[in-house]
Amino acid sequence: MEKVPLITAEELHRKMNSGEDVVILDVRNETDYNDWKIEGKKVRSVNIPYFNFLEEDEQVHAGLPKDTEMVVVCAKGGSSDFVAEMLMEKGYKTYSLEGGMLAWSQFYHPTIVYMDEKFKLIQINRLSKGCLSYAVISEGKGMIIDPNQKVDVYLELAKQHRFKIEHVVDSHLHADHISGGRQLAEQTGATYYISSGEVKDTNLKFEPLDRHDRIRVGEIDVEVLAIPTPGHTPGSTSFLINNRFLMSGDTIFVGGLGRPDLGGKAKEWAMDLYDTVFNKLSDLPDDCLVLPAHYADIQEINDNGIVGATFGEIRENNEIMQNADQEAFTEQVASAVSMEKPPNFEEIVAINRGELQVDAEKAVELEIGPNRCAVHHQG
Amino acid sequence: MADIVVDAKGLACPMPIVKAKKAIDSLESGQIMELHTTDKGSINDFQAWVKQTNHELIEAKEDNGVFKFIVKKG
Repeated sequence: MEKVPLITAEELHRKMNSGEDVVILDVRNETDYNDWKIEGKKVRSVNIPYFNFLEEDEQVHAGLPKDTEMVVVCAKGGSSDFVAEMLMEKGYKTYSLEGGMLAWSQFYHPTIVYMDEKFKLIQINRLSKGCLSYAVISEGKGMIIDPNQKVDVYLELAKQHRFKIEHVVDSHLHADHISGGRQLAEQTGATYYISSGEVKDTNLKFEPLDRHDRIRVGEIDVEVLAIPTPGHTPGSTSFLINNRFLMSGDTIFVGGLGRPDLGGKAKEWAMDLYDTVFNKLSDLPDDCLVLPAHYADIQEINDNGIVGATFGEIRENNEIMQNADQEAFTEQVASAVSMEKPPNFEEIVAINRGELQVDAEKAVELEIGPNRCAVHHQG
Repeated sequence: MADIVVDAKGLACPMPIVKAKKAIDSLESGQIMELHTTDKGSINDFQAWVKQTNHELIEAKEDNGVFKFIVKKG
């Protein structure tokens, strides 16, 4: 029997980015599919659970295209092999995603946001979760902001762009993904920073961000300004480079604001968020590029492959930001919060606080699923 | 007592359901199949599969890392 061709997460992403239409046949069960799937601007996705193919009913696959290549996707790659092979025998052109959604969740893609002689700024997009991290590079030195769990990605990036990682920062205590911050700092000898309010009452070793309003990267010019921006969490911190790039953590997104409820104090934190948005950040120029730690929708990826928008655009488009009345704002933000929380967020927070240790397999498993850190526009 | 017991312990997705499907096909309506699996991923899938067929899930329990499902053929 002919073996079905495999496609890696990276190859699939390249295919998705190449401008051609991609058809994905997701064979997980309906609940898993509705909860979390591969998305792309030119992706057409169909969900038919693999067990439907056991019925040997022609109707099951009758609607699938015969002339287009299909990428079959499942949780770990087993059922997609099975279905892809079956369909291939029936004359369909199929690939099976190697390692399934598990592999997709471990795929990170770097894009250069800005580059001149003085410094380089790279956005690293973990597409499966909508998680973004950043590398700020100058004079062979670098700072990594909000690294995710797979630290090899950043080590590889440092090798490729020839810089030494000196600073690793977490903009806040993450609830949706396991931070790679401490591990990356340990492996590179870099300093690990987080705001002390985020990890108080823990035994974590860290450098308190609140004691540094500036972090120098490289010999000249690039100073990263740490601005406390509470709201999503009390110790949330944003980073500003040369008044031009704001790494906003989970405070301000391209299409929304950080949800303030994950600590159980929605109203109180919503008031902090108000203060951050309307007072602390109000002086930033309209042409300052806001680069968040997350996005919620693939439409937020712009034509250059970057998730980001100028302050001007965000001020103009984000309905929540137009509500300058404090009471109405907190009311709106607190009530817009969805009941759906990031999967396993309590365990993930405990891991990020250093209170819970899990093995590598468990860590990967806990992170599987969508990101839900934003408050969206309410119509 | 089950009319057929499917031991799918140690098997990865999609094998537990492939085996269950074969086994249940060999039964008469009203007979009972018991499935044992250690694949966590197949738990939701198995329940979804039973739901959309005419079979009935009588019991689902975990025993020392082994998930046991008892299904009555519809």
